[in-house]
Amino acid sequence: MPYESIPQFDTRGVCVSLFRDVKNIEELRSKVGTMPFAVIDASCVCCREQLFSAVYKALIEWKYNRLRTKALHSECILSLSPTSNIGEAFRRFGIKEGTRNIICLAVVGKNETQTSELFDVVDGEEVELSDENLGSMFDLEMIKKVCWPLKVFQ
Amino acid sequence: MSKEVIEQVVTYLTPNVPIVPISQGAEAFVFTTNVHPYNASACKTAGDIPVKYIIKYRPPKKYRHPSIDKTLTKHRTLSESRILAKLSQVPGLHVPKLIACDVYNGCIWIEFIGEDLPESHGFSNLKNFLWMYKTDPYNIAVEKVLFKVGEQIGLLHWNDYCHGDLTTSNLVLHQENGDWSPYLIDFGLGSASTLVEDKGVDLYVLERAIISTHSKFADKYNEWILMGFKSVYENEGKKGQQKLKDVIKRFEEVRLRGRKRSMLG
Repeated sequence: MPYESIPQFDTRGVCVSLFRDVKNIEELRSKVGTMPFAVIDASCVCCREQLFSAVYKALIEWKYNRLRTKALHSECILSLSPTSNIGEAFRRFGIKEGTRNIICLAVVGKNETQTSELFDVVDGEEVELSDENLGSMFDLEMIKKVCWPLKVFQ
Repeated sequence: MSKEVIEQVVTYLTPNVPIVPISQGAEAFVFTTNVHPYNASACKTAGDIPVKYIIKYRPPKKYRHPSIDKTLTKHRTLSESRILAKLSQVPGLHVPKLIACDVYNGCIWIEFIGEDLPESHGFSNLKNFLWMYKTDPYNIAVEKVLFKVGEQIGLLHWNDYCHGDLTTSNLVLHQENGDWSPYLIDFGLGSASTLVEDKGVDLYVLERAIISTHSKFADKYNEWILMGFKSVYENEGKKGQQKLKDVIKRFEEVRLRGRKRSMLG
């Protein structure tokens, strides 16, 4: 299981995987609230930096008890969004109809052991979470529309 | 005081993030580090030069009531980060990239800009750069840099932002393909403002900074900066010309009376 760490939060680790052509999207969508990880639509993420900046922000909010959503994982999705509208963030960055590639992300304790089966419920091809792979999946027009709403500078 | 603050930062950042203090102001401490806050892969991709990041930390002030202190720190950290984020979207304008911010602790991570000038002339801000050329003050390199400085300020003002503390040490030069290009740093006093007054004051403060540190050549220096400043507005057609006239007129007024408009308070 790929495992990333955030220097400032050394008691936590981030398990994150990228899945291509996931077959059981509908199944995942129906249980999205009960799964112990966040599911993010890979077409909304263009690079690792974008993803981890959201995780970092969520962790900060979590550390100081300022979470705006109910859990750390949902906060990660909210932090990806440029607006503070929770529903909109989930619709846009969460799993949705037509999603094919997903990023599964779980923030776990450093010594948690059951991490290897965490994402077993996902039926898709796991690929490396690299900037190249993300770059081949993201939808530029979508990101432009969502994250670059400043017409003045275009 | 400063030892205490450094301890605070080290506890906050954990020993995983080594820091080197580089500067201290009234409100914030500035450190460098070679650890990226969240993207571990970014640290490795820099080739032979070690990557550096800036951490700007606003320590809590003991003389303020704790709850007021928290609100103020949060407010200022947030407004500085917002301005930086907005400005990095302006095409042509050079500001360091915002990497992360923690408003509850008053901590901002920014991209590191600049380098050390040759022959121990110090860090590559505009002040040291001008000192470096003191034996050859009207070198074409100086003229080019100052024109570009003017352009940067012009762009900033044209997009209705003000810096609030334009000095020669808040302009950092970064080398790109052998050419120096100026970056604006420290937006702690920055604001989004449509007022000509703020823009006039910005220009006046920089003019005074140059007069006081490089008085012999200040006339020429200020002329070059103003040339760059004007060029941005003149490219914007009639509307730009009109706005330029207003700003320059106010700048001249400010020059006559000084930075503070009212004598009250």
